[in-house]
Amino acid sequence: MKVNFYNYIFTALLSLLGVVALTNFLNYMDKYEVTILIASVIGFSFLGMKWNKFKHFFLVSFALAFLSIYLYQGDISQANSNFILKYFLSSQSSIMWMSALFPLGLIIYWFYMFVKQEFYGNFASFLIWAAATFATSGLLVRWFESYLISIDIGHIPISNLYEVFVLFCLISALIYLYYEEKLNTKKLGSFVMIIINVAVAFLLWYTFTRGADEIQPLVPALQSYWMKIHVPANFIGYGAFAIAAMVSVAYLLADSKFWQKYIPAKEILDDMTYKLIAIGFIFFTIATILGAVWAAEAWGGYWSWDPKETWALIVWLNYAAWLHLRLIKGLRGNILAWWSIAGLLITTFCFLGVNLFLSGLHSYGEL
Amino acid sequence: MTFSQLMSSMRFAISMLSIVGIASIIGTVLKQNQSYESYIIKFGQFWFEFFETLNLYNVYQASWFLLILLFLVSSTSLCVYRNSPRILKEFKLFQDNVKEKSLRSYKYSFEIPFSDFKKKDLVNLLNQHQFKTKEKLIDNGDELIIAKKGDYQKLGYIFTHLAIIIISVGGLMDGNLIFKFQESIGSKQIEFLDKPISEISKKSWLDTSNFSFRANMLLVEGESQGVGVIPVKDGYMIQDLPFTVSLKDFNIEHYSSGQPKSFESDLMIKSKNNGEVIQQKISVNKPLYYDGVTIYQSDFQDGGSKLNLALYDMYGNSKPIPMKAEIFKHNELIVDNQKMNFEFEDFRLFNILDVQENGDMKPKNVGPNYRYKIRNDSGQAREYETYQYPLFLDERYFFMSGMRNTPQEDFKFLRIPADADRTLDGFMIFKDLMIDPKQVNLAIKSISEENTVDLSQNKNEVTKGFFAIWQSFITGGYNNIASNIDQNVPLQNQEQVANTYIKIIYLIGDKIISNYKEDNSDSTIFNFNNDGVFTQDALNAYSDSFFYGSNFWVELKDFEQVQASGLQLTKSPGQFWVYLGSIMLVIGIFCMLYIQEIRLWIMKKSDSKNLILAFASNRDQIDFEKFVHKTKDEIKDFYSK
Ligand code: HEM
Repeated sequence: MKVNFYNYIFTALLSLLGVVALTNFLNYMDKYEVTILIASVIGFSFLGMKWNKFKHFFLVSFALAFLSIYLYQGDISQANSNFILKYFLSSQSSIMWMSALFPLGLIIYWFYMFVKQEFYGNFASFLIWAAATFATSGLLVRWFESYLISIDIGHIPISNLYEVFVLFCLISALIYLYYEEKLNTKKLGSFVMIIINVAVAFLLWYTFTRGADEIQPLVPALQSYWMKIHVPANFIGYGAFAIAAMVSVAYLLADSKFWQKYIPAKEILDDMTYKLIAIGFIFFTIATILGAVWAAEAWGGYWSWDPKETWALIVWLNYAAWLHLRLIKGLRGNILAWWSIAGLLITTFCFLGVNLFLSGLHSYGEL
Repeated sequence: MTFSQLMSSMRFAISMLSIVGIASIIGTVLKQNQSYESYIIKFGQFWFEFFETLNLYNVYQASWFLLILLFLVSSTSLCVYRNSPRILKEFKLFQDNVKEKSLRSYKYSFEIPFSDFKKKDLVNLLNQHQFKTKEKLIDNGDELIIAKKGDYQKLGYIFTHLAIIIISVGGLMDGNLIFKFQESIGSKQIEFLDKPISEISKKSWLDTSNFSFRANMLLVEGESQGVGVIPVKDGYMIQDLPFTVSLKDFNIEHYSSGQPKSFESDLMIKSKNNGEVIQQKISVNKPLYYDGVTIYQSDFQDGGSKLNLALYDMYGNSKPIPMKAEIFKHNELIVDNQKMNFEFEDFRLFNILDVQENGDMKPKNVGPNYRYKIRNDSGQAREYETYQYPLFLDERYFFMSGMRNTPQEDFKFLRIPADADRTLDGFMIFKDLMIDPKQVNLAIKSISEENTVDLSQNKNEVTKGFFAIWQSFITGGYNNIASNIDQNVPLQNQEQVANTYIKIIYLIGDKIISNYKEDNSDSTIFNFNNDGVFTQDALNAYSDSFFYGSNFWVELKDFEQVQASGLQLTKSPGQFWVYLGSIMLVIGIFCMLYIQEIRLWIMKKSDSKNLILAFASNRDQIDFEKFVHKTKDEIKDFYSK
């Protein structure tokens, strides 16, 4: 059993990483962070066992990140002088590579959809994997860079709008790749990659007009281990909802004779939408609850009806209604597809609109 | 349909979910719990009152909103009440009175040929696949195996819906229903005026038995307090606490850029019941739990810093007037028989602004600033915000002070150029010289002697003219000059004349400074690389000062900072229930979405060589179909071996 053997190596490597991190940084971590680290090792090992490609992806991303860290030699100014860092592996360059690979992937997916040669489909998926790899290594390196700037500034890079946009692209891409493989539906890449590329466009605009890529220190309220679980859980939710909406777009298009030839069967799309919303719903529920627990610790109350909280509730109610309709009333078809697209609008408002238009306790990523 | 049927119907549930969602939007669009004054300014009196009757300034505590929530909870409760017995019964039940005909009518119904039933092995196989099984012999000699798995899906239903109820009840426990009731019958009353605590009526006190609250406390270093303040509507209530809190020490740490990194309060808590004393540091994200109350670090404010100030009269050359001030205290100053009331409102040691640094805008600490109001005799006040140190703008340093007439406006800044030593002295010396006729005449005289301008006319006339222009400038700035020109010069010449006048003013100003430099060769305050820029900036500042609304520039000499720590004290007995409900919710949703309930019947007819298989699930999905075919094939294999 060759695959099994690889699984063991993977798990062993991950555990080794965990142990190295623990032995080196134990003094800087509280007991919760240690728990999160151990849980991550277990979680990623598990994911790797279930999903072969995830193992390659994970190992390559970490290898790139470590190479980058090695090249820094403990000096942040290397980002501009070392050739490899400057053009490939500094966090900003990696994220730029990600921003180039996602659009390219989108184009190839469309090409594949019409040309229907397997080669292009595989190539498109490969590009998305590569983009996800750069995103991961970019975030990991950014984490390291923040500590290089100053020990007290160092923090996990999921604390402002710029960083979570990268996270959004990464998580959405991974969720899509997972279902692409399980359900064998490469053609959907043409649709799903649209929403990711919209996020990339925003990210680039935000970087170049606002200099948003600069690493900023954390405000006191964000200095908590809670951030490490609350934010990723939220973004698994957002990512899954976003992809579900794009699959729903394909679902609606599948009614037309023209598109039928290029899109998977409606039942598959319907099933995929359901699965995405289900997984998104679970994670979003957990994230909202974790948010409440965190709020209770940081702001003195688990629920303050702050705009972000309230919009999270609205998103949640929306998908709860969706699930009721589908599971209990047995409703299928275009209404649910439209509903899930509307769900994306609500989700986007919660994610971005609240920061743009409303103010409240959650004003960490203002424009 | 009866009322209770309607309430527990799916359609009603979906409607409730949507209505709650839509109603919650209101409170996110309309900023909640602001001062009523700001709402009046925003909406005008009419709409202000209209919104107030609808309770829109505190939507989430409004009766109508609570009523909607109540409907949601009742609907969910009814639904749980109606469905649970059936679900619990089915959990144990195997549906064993099925007929051959009904089995054959299932969507997933198959016939499998067999020779030897091997019942025991078959049941084993099913058990290996996590099926629970029951065997039944039917009277006519037929045999039936009933198998099922995924019962927990149905329990998930009970879990989620019960969770919603528990969470809502927990939330209501922490809401202010009791207070609302007490207020409505008049036993409690909101206090709207700013009063010392001892003068506040008992009707505005909530005693320690109040079982849930969220109160604030502002503590100055070294002070103690035994009550919290609960903001309600546009007023507040006083919450008595079972202990007193003393602030021994308050600390803020900053990042090197000046942004706050952490703030922490060193607290001493003394129980009012048994005198027990504990001491603990709290900080953001690290609260203290004591006697059922949680104490959080929420923010910090000025606690009455003491400032040493100097007031410079912009249009007189008297010595600066010293003034001692304290934040939150009023200072009265009588100058030229005119009474001025200073109200100092805030002092901030650190101010992070985006400032230019090597071409980039970067957040940086620009040092202390202070806010004050100057109120005139008729009660009107202008608000000022002044920075102690000069700010780097457009490649040079300026002292900045902003003024606004109402809190709704942005500050408009007066910028006074710093001298070469980066102090205010240069400008103040210049201003003194500007209004000194002797110095001005001297300057004009040297200009006319140096012939820097074309003096074809009579010299005397010219110097007189220069003096008049200067006089016009120092009594009203460029604005004064402009209106003079407007009145006295034909339109087509106005621009040319204006340019000449501006040049003359500049020349005089510059001369005044160079004369000063000659007389005071040991002074360095005017040693610029490029004197002209300072002269220009100083003249502009002087001219702008006429819009500043005050004769006085208030300079901060030194200060003694006193900080106050903002604490939040909460008692929330509902929290436990909310958390418990949340855990149930997650478990429930997981069961419901990820456990597939499946039933399988296998019937062996005594008179047939085929087994009848029937699969059923409450959800017909692709995965179920896959599962059915896989299982059916396995059973087929089992018999063909
Ligand atoms: C996230 C939360 C919720 C989830 C995941 C959820 C899920 C479900 C599911 C799966 C069922 C079907 C149970 C079955 O198979 O018989 C159901 C039924 C139902 N739910 Fe919810 N629900 C949620 C919240 C609510 C809320 C807040 C309400 C109240 C307004 C509600 C009201 C109902 C009603 C009325 C039914 C129909 C009961 C029946 O007659 O079978 N649900 N829900």
